Amino acid sequence: MVQLAIKDVDRVLHDNNGQKINVLKDINLKVGSGEFISIIGPSGCGKTTLLRLISGLDTPENGQVSVDGKLITEPDVSRGYVFQHGSLFPWETIRENISSGLKAIHGHDYDHELVDQYIDLMGLKGFESAYPHQVSGGMAQRAALARSIVLKPELLLLDEPMGALDAFTRADVQDVIQKVWKQTKTTMILVTHDIDEAIYLGTQIVVMTPRPGKIKEIVDNPLDFPRNRTSDEFLNFRREIQDKLNFGVNET
Amino acid sequence: MLESVVSTKESKKTNVETKTQAKYWKPYQTRWNIASLLTIVLAYIVNQVVPSQEYVSNGTYRWFLVIYFVYLAAVYIAGSFIHGKVRLYSGHFAQLNASIGLLLVVQDLLTEKYAIVKQPFFVSFAQILDQMKTDHALLLASTWSSLGLWLISFIIGTVIGVALGLFMGRYRQFNYWAFPYLKVIGIIPAAAWMPLTMVIFPTSYLAEIFLIAFSVWFPVAFMTIGGVQSISENYFESAKTLGFTESQILRKIVIPGALPNIFIGIFTAMGLSFTMLVISEMIGAKVGLGWYINWAKGVGNYTQVYAAIVIMAILFSVIFSFLNKVQEYSLRWRQKTN
Ligand SMILES: Nc1ncnc2c1ncn2[C@@H]1O[C@H](COP(=O)(O)OP(=O)(O)OP(=O)(O)O)[C@@H](O)[C@H]1O
Ligand SMILES: [Mg+2]
Repeated sequence: MVQLAIKDVDRVLHDNNGQKINVLKDINLKVGSGEFISIIGPSGCGKTTLLRLISGLDTPENGQVSVDGKLITEPDVSRGYVFQHGSLFPWETIRENISSGLKAIHGHDYDHELVDQYIDLMGLKGFESAYPHQVSGGMAQRAALARSIVLKPELLLLDEPMGALDAFTRADVQDVIQKVWKQTKTTMILVTHDIDEAIYLGTQIVVMTPRPGKIKEIVDNPLDFPRNRTSDEFLNFRREIQDKLNFGVNET
Repeated sequence: MLESVVSTKESKKTNVETKTQAKYWKPYQTRWNIASLLTIVLAYIVNQVVPSQEYVSNGTYRWFLVIYFVYLAAVYIAGSFIHGKVRLYSGHFAQLNASIGLLLVVQDLLTEKYAIVKQPFFVSFAQILDQMKTDHALLLASTWSSLGLWLISFIIGTVIGVALGLFMGRYRQFNYWAFPYLKVIGIIPAAAWMPLTMVIFPTSYLAEIFLIAFSVWFPVAFMTIGGVQSISENYFESAKTLGFTESQILRKIVIPGALPNIFIGIFTAMGLSFTMLVISEMIGAKVGLGWYINWAKGVGNYTQVYAAIVIMAILFSVIFSFLNKVQEYSLRWRQKTN
């Protein structure tokens, strides 16, 4: 049951001197409904670029990106996007931010309870009326996550949403994402630098290499749920992925 | 994690408190509070005891001093019992109030007491207050009329400026066609239109509205364009993935994002609009503070000119503070940089 299909996609951008850069080359990827894809690769290999193509914020120079057979040409609420950097609206409170999409679609009688529920789940209770500059980076990122999730997208694109979090909060948010994924059966695509995170969450791991950005390998995750970050199977699989990435052992 | 959440919340609270304290930062010192009361007493005694060179009726001035004294005393007494905002406020402004008291003494001596600077061009504060009392009905009517004229013109100018600025900032096509023309028109000083507007518009009131609004729209529009263009692309892209329509993007992203700049434009325009208000009332009107000044000049009563100037100082300061409060509230989401 293929939901997202990326076929022979190239993305060509120009640097400041007008020089062509092949940011993505020959990308082919099929994602089944309900999968959790972890995309991992070094900085600058085009992960964000790929996610933007899937969301429809950009369109590829060659090839097609389609969902359920329909070509993607522009962003849509059915494809949520959590940006790598602060994208919360600074002029709205945390609560207003989280409900902003719902309000845009349903007007003022949107599902208030759903918003409350996610404020709770994301550990944002007590900060509903704070403005983004008044909360920590981790809270802001969780709020951005909630803002997309409450819209119940069919496909959720996550661009390193946990990049700014400390190890403890990170593990918490990973569990939240996993819980949401299991409950809602939303297809999720997560970009990350963190191999453990990629393995802990993903049903498939996509390994990318840079210059030009290519998919090196797509690996099925053999681990069953619930996953234990310190089990032998986990560590063995981690080593396998690490070898495929073949850069420093301590790369995170 | 919960613990860290709670503790950050608490530190936020204390942060807010130090900020309100920072607004009134001068320490409370009883001697300064007493000094400021004494300077007012001194002003009263000087006015009472020192013989006058000029004939002035001082009744209103003395009442003013009494009221000022009672107000300060009330604030100080309240401040010495209630620890909090009142105390901070009275402590902070004690030195300033003392200087005002001294200034009142000095001007009294310079003018009516020793006539070092002379009537009719220099008059004592007492004389201005007396004039205000005598003329209060006309002055009040003039003030209302000026305020009304300013308000309607300023709102019209601001609305036009913001609307044009938003559209020029957001839509390239509109910007291409409108900006060059509007720039050439907007750079013309509003006062240059005065002779024409007086004959073109059916009533001088409409002409005045036009002139004041004209001085307002351009700075507002210009700043608004910059404000829209400075909004991070991130917010527009988030909005699109969150299902915002174009009109929602305009209302929820473009306007709030440009608001800091819009306020810069509004405050620039405010000064220009006050100038234009007074000038156009001097030339065209039969009412208003500008007209009052012009009329007073005509009959050679410079005390009346001073009276109108004092009222303008008060009126425009009130408008300024009000707009400042509006700005503070509208931009409460911004990170304070001080
Ligand atoms: N608008 C652009 N114009 C020109 N080059 C760009 C543009 N956006 C990205 N690039 C280039 O494309 C490459 C891939 O960028 P991208 O942001 O997709 O990387 P990434 O894998 O997300 O990196 P990171 O992990 O650091 O976020 C980079 O080399 C970058 O310099
Ligand atoms: Mg990136």
